[in-house]
Amino acid sequence: MTDSVISLPIRILVLLLLLVIVAPLAVPMLMAFSDTPFLTFPPQGFTLRWFERVLFGPEAQTSFLFSLQLAFLATITALLLGVPAAAALVRYEFRGRSAIIGLMLSPVIVPLIVTGVALLQMFSSLGWGDTLTQLVIGHAVVCLPYVVRSVTASFVLVNRDLEDAAAVMGAPPHKVLTKIVWPQVRPGILAGAVFSFVVSFDDYPISMWLADGRHFPIPLYLHGLLERSIDPSIAAISTLVILFALLLVVVIEKVFGISIARLAT
Amino acid sequence: MNVAATPTLPRIEPAMLAQLLRGKASGVALVLPATAFLAVFFVWPVLQMIVLSVTQQRVEGVLIEGWTLDNYLRLFCNDLYFRVLLRTLRLAAASSVVAVLLAYPLAIAIARGGPGLARLVTITLVAPLLVNVVVRSYGWSAILNNAGALAYVLKATGLSASPPALLYTEWAVLIACVHVYLPFVVMPIATAIGRIDPSVEEAARVAGASRMMTFLRVTFPLSLPGLAVGASLAFSLTAAAYVMPQILGGNFSPLLGTLIEQQVLTLSDWPFGAAISTLLIIVVLAVNLVFIGLLSRRFSRWTGGAK
Repeated sequence: MTDSVISLPIRILVLLLLLVIVAPLAVPMLMAFSDTPFLTFPPQGFTLRWFERVLFGPEAQTSFLFSLQLAFLATITALLLGVPAAAALVRYEFRGRSAIIGLMLSPVIVPLIVTGVALLQMFSSLGWGDTLTQLVIGHAVVCLPYVVRSVTASFVLVNRDLEDAAAVMGAPPHKVLTKIVWPQVRPGILAGAVFSFVVSFDDYPISMWLADGRHFPIPLYLHGLLERSIDPSIAAISTLVILFALLLVVVIEKVFGISIARLAT
Repeated sequence: MNVAATPTLPRIEPAMLAQLLRGKASGVALVLPATAFLAVFFVWPVLQMIVLSVTQQRVEGVLIEGWTLDNYLRLFCNDLYFRVLLRTLRLAAASSVVAVLLAYPLAIAIARGGPGLARLVTITLVAPLLVNVVVRSYGWSAILNNAGALAYVLKATGLSASPPALLYTEWAVLIACVHVYLPFVVMPIATAIGRIDPSVEEAARVAGASRMMTFLRVTFPLSLPGLAVGASLAFSLTAAAYVMPQILGGNFSPLLGTLIEQQVLTLSDWPFGAAISTLLIIVVLAVNLVFIGLLSRRFSRWTGGAK
């Protein structure tokens, strides 16, 4: 072909769009270094004191650690429930199978804010569970579809002939599982776990109903900070959140070899 | 590891394995925990809330039991609430349309742009999903406020001395919603375009169609299934958005999500909150079913009913 499939104007338009997509992340990163007690653009002077304040502020630390803990517990729960379910959905024919697949994916269709308020209503009418348990359950509901989708996709790709061959050669079932099936489904489980972690770590609409003062995930903490402070410390903590996300992108893409594009499909 | 040394095993084990991996009972056993979990912590509370919306109402702070549609009537008859409903639907529709318009160039770049451009676009588009919406909304407020980055750029380039007041208006909410939900629109469209055989587009070009014509008559119609998925996702997600209107919409343009939060947490009017939540579910389901159904029927007619 003599001419490129994509014409130059389209290329320029695409690059402009990418610039706009990056802008709301780049602007706070610039403003975080401003040596003024209020937010300004362009930033004036240079200081690291907002970062200092955020990094050594006990509140931000507590929220960050709590969010990590919550995302970890929710992901473990979603994996324990989702991996066997995904395996069964691929491997077995049973009545109601397609209905169960629908059920597993439905938490991403019902608006999260509705799922959250419904859970709060149930928990408070039953008076059951402490805040952490309630949050873990709420997050696990939302994380489960990501685990099931990712793990199901990897089980579909498992080569059954290898299992039969191993079994015929005399490998006991647990060996077939650990030596033949596990290596093939491991990337899918890992991807499911990573996406589940990200979904929980960034969740707002479930946490807003179930959190309390002592269990306060980082997105809620940030929203609170945004409403009561005007100095660049909010830009500094946003910068840290963005850098943490970038680190995750690199780890997911380079170390785990998972395409983050799957998060949006 | 020494499996060959146990000659009796081959005859038993495949059968056991088959039983373990293909038996019906164990399939149900494996799927049961997750099903029960979702039944108890997802389906049950949502159903309970739908029931609550038609069995209770709060009149002057007193809960009244009994079947009623008053919670829904209140939403449609009270001008204040009805305006919130209309605003939510309007914003969701606008977000869906704008996102689709912006999605096409990006989707084409991913599907047809070659590995370098495709990767650049994909990463730039999807990576922000790892940053929570509070930070992304804050980023927009830093750009759109009247001493923000946009005002600065407009002044510095001499385009406008008095930048438009966008922050705390529906425009700011629209911009942020499109930004946050754009990846969910681009990816399905990119997948749909990627499935089109490039030789079909080439044939159109060879036959003399301009690039624009090729897009309008070949690429666009064939990408409709992706558009249906993306557009209904953008609509549903915007309709249920809470953080963006809260941070960027100001006090005067709440959406249904804010209304649920106010009714439940501030006024503890659970039945009314439940009715708004139910309405939100109905809107989302309706949009998904109608939009995807409609477009896929259209699509199969265009492609000669072959699919």
